[in-house]
Amino acid sequence: MKNPRKNREKTDNLKIIARHHTKEEGIDNELLKILEADYLRRNSSRRDFLKLFGYTFASAAILSSCKRPVQNALPYADQPPEITPGKSLYYATTFYDGHEYAGIVVKTRDGRPIKIEGNALSDFNKEGTTARVQASVLSLYDDARLRNPSEDNKPGEWDIIDNKITRSLSEISSKGGEVVLLTSSINSPATKKLIGQFGGSYKKFRWVKYDPISYSAVIEANSICFGEALIPDYHFEEADMVVSVNADFLGTWIAPVHFIPGYTTRRKLTDGEQEMLRHIHFESGMSLTGSNADVRKKIRPSEEKNLFVDLYNRIAEKKGADKLPELTFKEDLSELADSLVATKGKSIVVSGTNIIDIQIIVNGINMLLGNYKECIDLNNNLNIAAGIDSEMENLVTDLNAGKISALIMYNVNPAYDYHDPGKFQSGLNNTELSVIMAVAHNETIENVKYVCPVPHYLESWDDAEVIPGQLSLRQPCINALFNTRSFQDSLLKWSGGTAKYFDYLKSVWEKEYFPRSGNSEFRNFWNQALRNGIFNYNIPAGKTFSFNSEALSRIKVLADNIAPGSFEIIITENVALGNGIYSNNPWLMELPDPVSRQCWENVASISISDADKLGIKTGTLIKIAEELTLPAFIQPGQADGTISVSLGYGHTDFGPVCNNIGINLYPFIRVIDGNLNYCFSTNKIENTLRENQLALTQVHYSMEGRPIVRETSLGKYKKDPSSGNETHKIFEEEHKSLYPEIEHKGFHWGLVIDLNLCVGCNSCVIACQAENNVPVVGKEEVVRRRIMHWIKIDRYYSDNTDNPKVYFQPLACQHCDNAPCENVCPVSATNHSSEGLNQVTYNRCIGTKYCLNNCPYKVRRFNWYRYTNNKKFDFNTSSDLGKMVLNPDVTVRERGVVEKCSFCVQRIQEKKLQAKLENRTLKDFEIKTACMQACPSGAIVFGNLNDPDSKVSKLFRDPRCYHLLEELHTLPNTGYLTKVRNDEILNS
Amino acid sequence: MTMMYKIGIFDEEDKFISSIRMLQEQKVTIFDVFTPYPIHEVFHLLKRKSKLPTAAYFFGLFGIIATLGFLYYTSVIDWPIVYGGKPFNSFPSFIVVTIIITIFTVTILSLAAFSLRSKLFPGRENTIFDIRATDNRFVIVVNMDPNDKSLSENAEKVMQDNGAIEIVNKELENVKA
Amino acid sequence: MYNRRIRGPLIEGNKTLGQITADVISPMEASPGLWWFIAFGISSMAALFGLYAIYITVTKGIGTWGVNNSVGWGWEIINFVWWIGIGHAGTAFSIFLLILRQRWRTSINRAAEAMTVLAVMAAAILPALHMGRVWLAFYIFPYPNTRGPLWVNFNSPLFWDFVAITAYLLISASFWYLGTLPDFATIRDKTTSKIKKAVYGFFSLGWTGSSRQWIRFESLSFVLGGIAAVLVVSVHSIVSTDFAVGVEPGWHTTLFPPYFVVGAIFSGFAMVMTLMVIIRKIYRFTDYVTDNHMDAIARILIFISLIMGTAYATEVFVAWYSGNEYEMFTFFHNRITGDYTIQFWGMVICNAIIPQLFWFRKIRRNWVGLLIISLVINLGMWFERFNIVITSLSKDFLPSNWVAYKPTIIDIGVYVGTIGIFACGVLLFIRYIPMMAISELKSVNRIGEKIED
Repeated sequence: MKNPRKNREKTDNLKIIARHHTKEEGIDNELLKILEADYLRRNSSRRDFLKLFGYTFASAAILSSCKRPVQNALPYADQPPEITPGKSLYYATTFYDGHEYAGIVVKTRDGRPIKIEGNALSDFNKEGTTARVQASVLSLYDDARLRNPSEDNKPGEWDIIDNKITRSLSEISSKGGEVVLLTSSINSPATKKLIGQFGGSYKKFRWVKYDPISYSAVIEANSICFGEALIPDYHFEEADMVVSVNADFLGTWIAPVHFIPGYTTRRKLTDGEQEMLRHIHFESGMSLTGSNADVRKKIRPSEEKNLFVDLYNRIAEKKGADKLPELTFKEDLSELADSLVATKGKSIVVSGTNIIDIQIIVNGINMLLGNYKECIDLNNNLNIAAGIDSEMENLVTDLNAGKISALIMYNVNPAYDYHDPGKFQSGLNNTELSVIMAVAHNETIENVKYVCPVPHYLESWDDAEVIPGQLSLRQPCINALFNTRSFQDSLLKWSGGTAKYFDYLKSVWEKEYFPRSGNSEFRNFWNQALRNGIFNYNIPAGKTFSFNSEALSRIKVLADNIAPGSFEIIITENVALGNGIYSNNPWLMELPDPVSRQCWENVASISISDADKLGIKTGTLIKIAEELTLPAFIQPGQADGTISVSLGYGHTDFGPVCNNIGINLYPFIRVIDGNLNYCFSTNKIENTLRENQLALTQVHYSMEGRPIVRETSLGKYKKDPSSGNETHKIFEEEHKSLYPEIEHKGFHWGLVIDLNLCVGCNSCVIACQAENNVPVVGKEEVVRRRIMHWIKIDRYYSDNTDNPKVYFQPLACQHCDNAPCENVCPVSATNHSSEGLNQVTYNRCIGTKYCLNNCPYKVRRFNWYRYTNNKKFDFNTSSDLGKMVLNPDVTVRERGVVEKCSFCVQRIQEKKLQAKLENRTLKDFEIKTACMQACPSGAIVFGNLNDPDSKVSKLFRDPRCYHLLEELHTLPNTGYLTKVRNDEILNS
Repeated sequence: MTMMYKIGIFDEEDKFISSIRMLQEQKVTIFDVFTPYPIHEVFHLLKRKSKLPTAAYFFGLFGIIATLGFLYYTSVIDWPIVYGGKPFNSFPSFIVVTIIITIFTVTILSLAAFSLRSKLFPGRENTIFDIRATDNRFVIVVNMDPNDKSLSENAEKVMQDNGAIEIVNKELENVKA
Repeated sequence: MYNRRIRGPLIEGNKTLGQITADVISPMEASPGLWWFIAFGISSMAALFGLYAIYITVTKGIGTWGVNNSVGWGWEIINFVWWIGIGHAGTAFSIFLLILRQRWRTSINRAAEAMTVLAVMAAAILPALHMGRVWLAFYIFPYPNTRGPLWVNFNSPLFWDFVAITAYLLISASFWYLGTLPDFATIRDKTTSKIKKAVYGFFSLGWTGSSRQWIRFESLSFVLGGIAAVLVVSVHSIVSTDFAVGVEPGWHTTLFPPYFVVGAIFSGFAMVMTLMVIIRKIYRFTDYVTDNHMDAIARILIFISLIMGTAYATEVFVAWYSGNEYEMFTFFHNRITGDYTIQFWGMVICNAIIPQLFWFRKIRRNWVGLLIISLVINLGMWFERFNIVITSLSKDFLPSNWVAYKPTIIDIGVYVGTIGIFACGVLLFIRYIPMMAISELKSVNRIGEKIED
């Protein structure tokens, strides 16, 4: 200890260790005090902000450094001896919220998790993430989080509450009353085991898994067809042909983060690949998946059963199987059936419906096509959703019948997302004991007796088995910020044990998985599993599933999945907000929908011709079925007679960001033979003649015939790889300049985006926002076209607006070598780096906005107001808690300066320095920009153009590569690869 | 020391000018004349010349060289920065600034020179021989040589003949021309 | 060279020198009358509104304006260019006519120059306000600093602009002030009030009207005139480079420098006409600012309006002839047709067509006609600037960035404010400074009676 500073730190360490080891649970009250409500309510100055920061740095850092070894959480990368301020640590952990799963790596900085990144070791999602996974880190610092346990909405103490709960639980079970545990889907083996034990200690116990957005029909259909209630894994990477009906598997359906990599590996045309899967999509509203399809056809929900029966019968005919009762689809499906049969078991047919019978037919079709061999995997099923709607229905009925004495809820919010909240409430009031365990405030809490706050997933221990044999661990990346206790710890406590869930988890792993690891010592096995975050073991060859033919014959007359009506309203999941648990996350609230490019409320997407009939413009408020008033959004490609509205909005008591924004659609979900049905019909669509300003981030849909997204078809591509991109060569030759071209010695950074791989999922947008401290500006500013996103995904439609082709184009700073913006800045605040970066010096900028005008790509953003510490913009950058997510490597911009994409220069510098210290040259792919890293389809590639062997320079030489507006001779360092559609056949 | 001045006041340009002519024939040394507006003939007669244009030319020369030098130093030698793919010494775009700064320099320096040479600056009070000179009178001021009475008398006579409406003698502190 | 028998006298009614002095000074001696106070009241209200808008802008941020991430420049830049344009008249008047020995300018140039100075000052407020961080405006000075020293970007048209405007303001102001020296001296010597004597005495810098002062005065005004002539041409050319150097469709054109200069002189002369019509009505200066004067300005305006018309036509033609799809779109789908047709056709009609009425002598001699048309021209010039700034930005290369532009009340406030400040200035000017160059009037009083050399 030569260094006195180090000495001081150590002593501080000891003090704090002493301080919080004297307390139970080791909650750091110092930290709490700072985060106390009154402290937060104060309109804090920058000084306070720094103070808080400083403190959090120190304490959090020291805490994690001294607390973590106690529980042996090991960092992903090599761990330095102690936390060095300014150095990032990475922890592998698991994201699962009952709705979506991803193996992730958390970047912590001085003890604060600040960024989520995909875990490259995870077979499930590779390195990819979705927008929601990226944004989940902000929910850790959500002001709406519960800070203390409470009883009857009055703050309470853990032990008192525990005593009361355990007492009444034992009373109830002695009286023979039924105890019900209502949770979201859970895929943690340890937790399942624990719940089993917990339930075992009561005479009558029921565990109900409830998914507001349910895949119940898929599960039940499979149990009927194959005798196993499960969701199979869909291997898009194996498929030559995909037929999807209203299943938005790239955006929302089951596990996009898992499907996108598979799907896009079969769309990749670089490195000599010549073949692509063909994707035919039938849908009502324009979904993310539909807009990526090679052929997209419009269909009303009520036509689904005709479609499938007709398709089934045609295939059955060819395969000589017996047909179903005749139903014909409006279009001729013979061509489709033929090509499906022709693909010989290398196809996937999926439906997004929640009607069991239809799902059974879908299974039948896949069976006939022999898809269950390679493309659809029943052995390695997906443990994403397990909720069975009928169970929840029964539960609510029993509640109202007063059959349930104790209701313990975890990670659910039925008061908001159950289709009949009133009924649930009344049932809840019949219970003697009601407990809810939640991370943040929600609508259900109000009427529950005991509220037990649980830690955010970044603060807690758990595991997950998303696919049999693919396990992953969840470890805390920061000490609990608040007075919380994990769900599992509570269960342990209430079942009278003293054990901690951490030890329980460890013992489960020791018993269950350690033997399979072939590792000699458990400690090593455990540490390795923690370090990698995941542990794979091969399960014995799965049993072969036989298709139960009764399943189909059982279908005599298909029930109508929707009452007849002139308009059919489809209730969809929103790519940003999901099922609504992230509504209070400002990043996601301001994330525009990839297709409508609109945010901050939900809209009724209506087809052009219907809009004309009703005299509706985008923004007109329309009244649907006399009870639902929404702003209309004219959506090209929307099936006539249908209206799509997304879920996740209309919270009443969930948090400041989302309260009373938009309309809650859950109450409009109908139950048809026991299953939630996400559409209903009506004859009443009324134009209220009132207008509403929509927060649109893009108002013009057409490319005006300009070569912005260059496109070709697979056939043309095979003949000539540069087809659709002929102009590129011409422009390259025509370039003339008054001055000699500047050459960059050493590095010359470049980035390529493959428009054929980009599905427009918006993961990069949030990744960039998290990495670069991009502020949220709120609806009013978005309406005024002032959204701050550094990277946005432009969406264009082809001119056939009735059923257009859709183009996605991620657009960030192009880092031109002849940048028009640099030339015009009077104070040289923006200029060119020696490595080809177009850089902005925020401190030098006086905000003339000339650069912003003179950028042909309009990718520069201006700080119109002060977005930090500003009541008017009360989002994460104005809340002391929310600020903890800020990345200390990136300046928080002041009012009046221009900002833009920097190619994540902080990451470039970090890696360069590292390489320098290790005295070696940088490897390709060593530096990854935030967008590149987040991209689940690997569409974005960043690297050094001066290195001829780097991937990026290979792609720059690819015949498909072009530069946006290259005719302006701005010499961008960003390239795009042409989009290729596989739409020769079936093109009608 | 004080000096005697003879001041002739005219109400018409023509009379005034002809009297200047005759005074000069009479070898009377005219101290200076004061008029409400510039009269070029007077400049010819009194051989008044200004070197300001020549000076201005050199000011301009200085301006150009200084500006170009400054631009070159700052953007090529001191801290070269690449803007929009241009070389450090992107001369064409320096021209504009050079022109303006040059004009600027010339103006400033000429103004300075003017105010110095003609002793005009805020608060300055020059001797006024007759306040009507700025309104509607033309004034001729002649130094009187105490030794040579005749000269001054015949100066007075000349002005009389040319219809000076008024002739006064003033003794004043020595006035610098 | 100037034959009175052919062209009529420059000053009518055989004035004596004394009368001229008296006539010109009279408005400053007498109380200005009720209309003046009313006008001043209104103008200062406008100015206050402007100051409020400025206060909001500086404290809250430019977010209070209508600009957005695609249209980065809005009303403030439009009005800046508009004012600068107006600010060209005075100097153009004095300088060009001085150099061309057009002596009829004498009775107008003082007012014109005053207007110039005021207009340029009004203009200078706007780009400063348009800075996101106006408190750091000093960064634009290339002064040795502790940041490297980090100099400025001499390639930036905005820097050229800054230099040009500063120089222009200084030179036109000093040129104007120089002209006032003899007149201040006159007032100093005429006035009876002690205060006036002191004040004007101070500002007359000890002017005596000696032949030595006169000769230097003359040569200095010719030197300044000579270089200011260059400046008049260069300043608005430079303002035009703010756009011409940009890549935006409708901006990136070599036509701009002459086009802007002519446009500037156009609006400037129109504004001069507006003011002179009013002033000579109020103060009965018809003897000095004769119908011939107005006639002469009107003729110039016809000529310039023809040039403007040609320029507009050229722009559109070149857009079509170049075959550049972006240019084509901007001109044919976003100006001639599209969301901004009013501004485009307003520009054409106000600047190219209506001024043609000046072909009729009746209208040239009718003060109402003159007033209305001169106002119409300034409206038209505003439209022109709107066209250039907004239409190009609102719909440029990538349709995904297309947005509409709408000004806010604060934008309007700032504009009204500048007008108010300008009007206050003018009113103070006619109250405290001789509206016409007395000494110069005297020098042209008898002109043409005897044939000059």
